[in-house]
Formats: sequence, structure tokens, C-alpha cells
Amino acid sequence: MGLWDAFTDIVESVTPWSTVEAEAPAQEQEEAPEADSKDEEEEEEDEEEEEEEEEETVDPKEQIEEECKNAPQCASVKHHFDHCVERVQQQEEDGGAKEDCVEEFFHLAHCATDCAAPKVWARLK
Amino acid sequence: MLARSCLRSTRTLNGLRNGANNVTKRAASTSSGAANEAVPTRLNVAAAASTTLALGSMAWYYHLYGPVAFASTPAEEGLHPTKYPWVHEQWFKTYDHQALRRGFQVYQEVCASCHSLERIPYRSLVGSILTVDEAKELAEANEYPGEPNEQGDIEMRPGKLADYLPSPYKNEEAARFANNGALPPDLSLIVKARHGGCNYIFSLLTGYPEEAPAGTVVAPGMNFNPYFPGTGIAMARVLYDDLVEYEDETPASTSQMAKDVVEFLNWAAEPEMDDRKKMGMKVLVVTASLWAMSVWVKRYKWAWLKSRKLAYDPPAESKVRH
Ligand code: HEC
Repeated sequence: MGLWDAFTDIVESVTPWSTVEAEAPAQEQEEAPEADSKDEEEEEEDEEEEEEEEEETVDPKEQIEEECKNAPQCASVKHHFDHCVERVQQQEEDGGAKEDCVEEFFHLAHCATDCAAPKVWARLK
Repeated sequence: MLARSCLRSTRTLNGLRNGANNVTKRAASTSSGAANEAVPTRLNVAAAASTTLALGSMAWYYHLYGPVAFASTPAEEGLHPTKYPWVHEQWFKTYDHQALRRGFQVYQEVCASCHSLERIPYRSLVGSILTVDEAKELAEANEYPGEPNEQGDIEMRPGKLADYLPSPYKNEEAARFANNGALPPDLSLIVKARHGGCNYIFSLLTGYPEEAPAGTVVAPGMNFNPYFPGTGIAMARVLYDDLVEYEDETPASTSQMAKDVVEFLNWAAEPEMDDRKKMGMKVLVVTASLWAMSVWVKRYKWAWLKSRKLAYDPPAESKVRH
């Protein structure tokens, strides 16, 4: 993370064409008239989303991690965890669990958070 | 390789001792006369023995000290937090002070009822998180013991910028009593005091699963959190979506609040970071300039030497011998 960013930072700060924006850049919608109708539709959708958000904030971390748990890269750990839960629940029914699924849970959580970390940061301010 | 070249050089030496004439022949061929047969064999045995001793001692050392004993189960160790791409951890980035402001709000509204932040005075919030007026107003909302009056009694006075943030409990006993025997630690240096720092605390705050995984036994009054060593923590989940309302209208999701409060706690533990990075950059700029100067000076000083031309100008032929 550190070193490469440091270099790009330095390069950006000395290139004459880099700009410093104290405010959000002006929106360039007027310049693209052919895309107007599309934009409007998107805007409407955006507004709807915002309204939803006002009602209830969704936690991006929870949402993205849930997606990650079902993603192919976590399939095997999820399978192990589900399998363990099934086994332990069976044991509980038969009168007392003989083990727990903490380790399987760790592997799944590790996989999911690893996969979600950059995406979560992209969504948070 | 080393062993082989050592052997060869001793053999050469042997050859020298026996007579210099034979050197090349000896070095080139391994089987050289029945009389000398014993010597390389003996050398080979010595080399093999010393190598065996060396390897054997390594193996023995590894056997004794190599494998690390993990006395704790993964649950006792706790889940190691994932690394998050914190912007303020990059070399040339500062804290996001808007995030610090939000984080301080979360601390004030959520954590301050249990956790103290006793190493932070109001004055240090000025300029980095609050304006002077805001900080003064905040300080004045609390009472602190003042100077003794003429009867020697200590009266309470409104807080000043030089005062430290108030603690929620009078002392440790009161804190434990209010929290079922668990002590909420002071948060001033917590980011430096825990393995994993920011990542750990962020994961801890956002990592409470809806239910503990099947088969886990959570002690009464405890909560399951995979990141806390032992997985049973006395602090319940405290952050829920929309718990606070941010003045800059950032959606207050659980992870947003956790991120902000963790960045704020990082600031609390390391308020000098922005200045430190600025100083580091100054050092880089100065050393780079000095280096450039030294290169130019070197070129200047060496110029006469590098650009000189040596010419041999033989004296004219003459019959006279000197
Ligand atoms: C209801 C009271 C309460 C609130 C509110 C609270 N905590 Fe805690 N916190 C505790 C207690 C009690 C502990 C000690 C847990 C233990 O040792 O099992 C603790 C422990 C911690 C720890 C240390 C964990 C460790 O590794 O030892 C951190 C970090 C922490 N809290 C952060 C926070 C933050 C940040 C907030 C605000 C968002 C917060 N807490 C709000 C009660 C609280």
C-alpha cells in the first residue's frame, strides 16, 4: 500500500495537469445531450434509492460480506461451516454437542472479510 | 562446492609438499598412485564427519526449539482481523479530519458513557476536530474542582480548555460495579495497546455475529465476538445503524460509525501523526536537495581532473646521452 501510493502521490503533485479540487467537480451532464434520457432514468432510480436510505440505512459491510460468503472463493469454507453446523445441531438433538463450529466460523469470517475489505472501504466515506 | 574447492586446494598443497613438479598432474587427476590413495580418503572422511556434525547439530536444534508450541486453541487466540485500506496509514496522507469530527461525535454519544478518554484535553481537540468556540462550549458544560476558597473548601468551576475530558466513572471499582465486574479500558491509547490496532478495533465493533456459531458456550453476561481473544467479551454490540445523526449527513451505518470512531481513536493515540509525516517529508526534501548539491559540487571539483588530457611529449632525438 505505502510505497506505490507514495510515488503516485508525488507524481500527481508535480505534474502540471493535475488539479486540486476544493469542491466537488461540476457535473458534466449538459455536455452529453445524447445520454440525457438515460441519465434522467438513472437519476430517478438514484432518488428512489436515496429515499429508501432515508428510511433505513443498510450497512455496506454486512451486505458485502454476505455476498462474499456466497462467492466462489469462499465456497469451500462455507461448505465446511454449514456442514459443521448441521453436524452439531444433530448432536444437540441427540443430547449435547460434542464440538463447536468456532474454527469453521473463523475461516468463513476470515474469507468473507478479506474479500469484502476493499469493497467496503469504497462504499464508506 | 565449498567443500570441494577446499579439498582441491589441500590436495594442491599436498602436491606442493611432495614436489612442485607434480602439482598440475595431481590437481587434474584424482587417482594418482597407490601410495597417495590414503590421503584423499582420510580427507573425505573428515569432510563427511564435519558435515554430518554440522547438519546433525542443526537437526537437533530444530528438534529442540524448532516447532513452536501453540498452547491455545484458535478460539482462545481470537480471529485475526483483516487488514483494511485505512487512508491515514499511507505515507503521504493525513487523517481525514471530517472523519475525526464524526468519530468524536460517536465517541461522545456512544462510548463516553462507559469508556474514559482521560489523556485528551479539550485544547488538543482545537484545530484538529473542533473550533475554539466549540471546544470552550464543550468544556464549560462540565464542572471541575477549582482553587480552594477562603475557607479552604474546593468549589466546582466550569471547565476550561486546559481540562481533560471527564471520565464516566469515579474510579475502577465504580466502573467494574456498573459493568458486571468488567472494566471498560481507557480509550486514549487503545489503538496502540492492541495487536492489530485500527483493524482490530474496527473488526471488534462490527464483528458481532447475529448468533454465536453452533455449539459455542457463551458465559452468562458475555457476548460472542470472534475477534476478542477467548471470543467471550463483556461489552455487548454497541453500534447499530442510524444510532447517531451526523451533521454532515453521512449515512450512519454501523461500519461507517465504527470506521470514524476508530480513526478518531487513532488520532487520540497518535495526535502528532500529521506533523510527523510533514516533518518526514521535510527530511526527504532536504536530503534530496543536499544530495543533488553534493553531486553538482563533486562534478565541479572533479572537472579539472576528468577533463585533463595527458600527452606524452617525447624530447627531441639527440645524440647526447643523459
Ligand atoms: C455499555 C458500556 C460500553 C459502551 C457503551 C462501550 N463499551 Fe467498550 N467495553 C465495555 C466493557 C465492559 C469492556 C471490557 C470487555 C471485556 O474485558 O470483556 C469494553 C472493552 C472495549 C475495548 C477493549 C477490547 C479489548 O481488546 O480488550 C474496546 C477497544 C472498546 N471497548 C471500544 C469501545 C468503543 C469504540 C465504544 C463506542 C463505540 C465502546 N467500546 C462502547 C463497555 C462498553
